[in-house]
Amino acid sequence: MADKFIITNNIRRLRFFANEMTQQELAEKAGMSRQTIIAIEAGKYSPSLELAFRIADAFGVKIGEVFDYEVERG
Amino acid sequence: MSYQEKRTIVSIISGLLVLVAYCIYVFGKYQSHTVALDDLKFSATTMLIFIGIGIAATIIIQILFHIALSVGIAARERNHDEKAIEKEIEYPFVEDEMDKLIELKAMKIGFIIGGAGFIAALVTVVFNCSVAVMLNIIFLSFSLGSLAEGILSLHYYRKGVRNG
Repeated sequence: MADKFIITNNIRRLRFFANEMTQQELAEKAGMSRQTIIAIEAGKYSPSLELAFRIADAFGVKIGEVFDYEVERG
Repeated sequence: MSYQEKRTIVSIISGLLVLVAYCIYVFGKYQSHTVALDDLKFSATTMLIFIGIGIAATIIIQILFHIALSVGIAARERNHDEKAIEKEIEYPFVEDEMDKLIELKAMKIGFIIGGAGFIAALVTVVFNCSVAVMLNIIFLSFSLGSLAEGILSLHYYRKGVRNG
């Protein structure tokens, strides 16, 4: 069976360290809807590379600090 | 519940209402033998009227929904300044790539149902059914496709959506 790639994120932790930034504030900074932030944070949606960079930019960190991936061996 | 979910529910309900109204009207006419099953003019006229009603109903319901939503937000935020309220009202209407992906995936299912209905309609003609049956199958399959689109969008908003 093929390996499964799972994209994980640290958005909740980064929001906490960014003075408890709200999802709405992050959405406004990154130029997307709050619904999308909620879905990304909950791991229900994997954003495009552009959106991922915009989220990282909103926190002022590298993309690798926001997103990571795990491999589930098949 | 997000603005997009509420909007999808509103369009599902308006689509369902128009579809039910169409079924009651048309099948009522057929059952009471007011019109013949092969009366193509009646079928075409009714479908055109209901397409018009559907478009008008969708526009009116969406306008009313936007007004209700804006009034609701303004009432909730009445202690804040006017700019904050305006921003709060405008923000839910932002559409991004997730909305577009959901729309695309849902539309695909809608087209599959519509296409399957079209093929089924052609099959009925091959088996010597009335052309009115074919027209009704096409109309109903596209309406059901549109409803399925809405239901699937709602499902993706709730459960999440994956690229690829």
